[in-house]
Amino acid sequence: MKSGKHVIALTLALLFAFGLAACQKKAAVQPETTQPTQPQTMEKKDKDMEKVTEKKIDSKIESVDVKDKGAQYVESKESMFADILFDYDKYAVADSYKSVLQSVSAWMAKNLSARLSIEGHCDERGTNEYNLALGDRRAKSVKDYLVSLGVSSERIDIISYGEERPVCTEQTEECWAKNRRAHFVILTKVGK
Amino acid sequence: MKRIRAGQETIDNRQRGRRPTSAALGKAILLVLLVVPLHASLLTNAFAKVYIDISSPSAKKLPIAIYDLQGPSGKEIAEIIRDDLTFTGLFMCIDKASYIEPAAGKFSPQNWRPLGIEAVIKGTAQEKNNGLAVEVVLYDVLEGREILSRQYQSTRELVRQLAHTISNDIYQAFTNMPGIFRTRIAFVAEDDGEKGIYIMDWDGHRTRKLGLKGTLVLTPRWAADGSKMIYSSERSRQWGVYLLDFGKMSEKKIFASKGTNMAGDFFPRGDAITFSSTQDGTPDIYVMSLKDRSTRKLTRTQGIEVSPSVSPDGTRIAFVSDRGGSPQIYIMRSDGNDIRRVTFEGSYNTSPSWSPSGDRIVFSCRKGKNQICIIKPDGNDLVQLTDTGNNEDPSFSPDGRFITFSSDRERTRGVYIMRANGEAQKRISPQGLRSYGPRWSPN
Repeated sequence: MKSGKHVIALTLALLFAFGLAACQKKAAVQPETTQPTQPQTMEKKDKDMEKVTEKKIDSKIESVDVKDKGAQYVESKESMFADILFDYDKYAVADSYKSVLQSVSAWMAKNLSARLSIEGHCDERGTNEYNLALGDRRAKSVKDYLVSLGVSSERIDIISYGEERPVCTEQTEECWAKNRRAHFVILTKVGK
Repeated sequence: MKRIRAGQETIDNRQRGRRPTSAALGKAILLVLLVVPLHASLLTNAFAKVYIDISSPSAKKLPIAIYDLQGPSGKEIAEIIRDDLTFTGLFMCIDKASYIEPAAGKFSPQNWRPLGIEAVIKGTAQEKNNGLAVEVVLYDVLEGREILSRQYQSTRELVRQLAHTISNDIYQAFTNMPGIFRTRIAFVAEDDGEKGIYIMDWDGHRTRKLGLKGTLVLTPRWAADGSKMIYSSERSRQWGVYLLDFGKMSEKKIFASKGTNMAGDFFPRGDAITFSSTQDGTPDIYVMSLKDRSTRKLTRTQGIEVSPSVSPDGTRIAFVSDRGGSPQIYIMRSDGNDIRRVTFEGSYNTSPSWSPSGDRIVFSCRKGKNQICIIKPDGNDLVQLTDTGNNEDPSFSPDGRFITFSSDRERTRGVYIMRANGEAQKRISPQGLRSYGPRWSPN
């Protein structure tokens, strides 16, 4: 009786393996393979034996990339320009920041060996991925403005940190407003 | 026991108090027509019956008695199996206090019928070769017979995996569908100011950090076979898309440029990915072949286009665009043509992700705060699944029955799971570990 049952079970399992070939179970658990037609004795137990294993995830991960070229520029420790702040979900530069941008532009005109990196940031209320895009658009808005003031676009890099690098971590409007910013980082050549 | 049918995922329109649509029903019936006759009718034996119809949202929970296995770790194993089965919402684990049969005694259906219990699980566990050897037997009360008998072996450290493997077998015996109890969830967590990718079991146990470089590593995405992962990392003031091969445990940078580059998704065959990049000025969506690294730009607007999620059959891409004035979910063909807007309700819909059967898209919708919503790709049947705190980054389990997401409902943001109809929401990531961006592993 029992062997018949197991034959059916195995047949069923095989049918499923066939019918649902793309299905999951393929990974770590591998039932031992024995012939379904074996006589019903001690082997009966082995037939339905599963060895539970798992592929170990190494904590050490090799990075096969060539090392990033050593930075030719270093970041200034403190920003000499005020952050440009943005409205919620917006990336247009408000007119009130024109004077800040004019002073950035004037400084760049005087310091021709310097480069400028503009970081775009967001408050935490959006979703992370969209905020990375929004932060990029904020940085780009500022860059576009500076370019319109005559700064060479070649000298300006932009990068977004979305909501990942807040300057203020409380859940208040005041705090969120500070985080919705474009932040200037001056990059100066190494060894100069 | 009742004769029950096999189906696929259940989307209970709980929020609207409505039954599944006729299309969903039609699909379920189609599946029944396809699956059951193919496998079951060939064997006209009662063994092939399906006990639980997982396509029916109102299905009665199957009352089951699960004994602590006799022997070392037996109690722990039984507890894991009970937790696994209970979370599915398909089983009701009956309290041990009502078991009148001795654990070592012979199974007798008369002991269970009066209690309404329909299935009984007994087993033993013993130390063997420094590991565990476990035997489990599953009984059908109404028919008074054994329906599954199996032995398992593992090392001591894998006791949870052993228990989850038993859960998978039990689940499959009742539903004819594979269980997800050995799957894992990759997510982003913040530790000491660094944000990196972690992996935990789907039930929140065994959290471990992947040793990836960089202080900012985001958006983990599994390949369909689970052997690889892509993610985004900022290194030296540049965002790159990286590919991790779990077989070799090595990573490669597969795309970088000036601006912001974000990993999107694998295509089902694993030979191409989507990503978003601002290399041409504004965030746009690209496809890259992993064979020759050639890229193809799919969107060209002056606004934002991000979060490209590939449909399970690889023919379509869901994404977010603000071309209409606010971020909304759109779908296009994988060649970039035939762009259609999916969401129209609300002014902030982001982070789309497909159900495994392709019949739904789960996303983050803003209703005051961010919530998890689900919609058909044609824009119909919008259902909101959460209502507490901010809830983001949703994605489905490989069987389509569960959704993982992040939530700040308990202040610190954490990774949560729930059934695909919004039931049984619970945090699974470790308390105090700021966690988000979860993705369920495919296997």
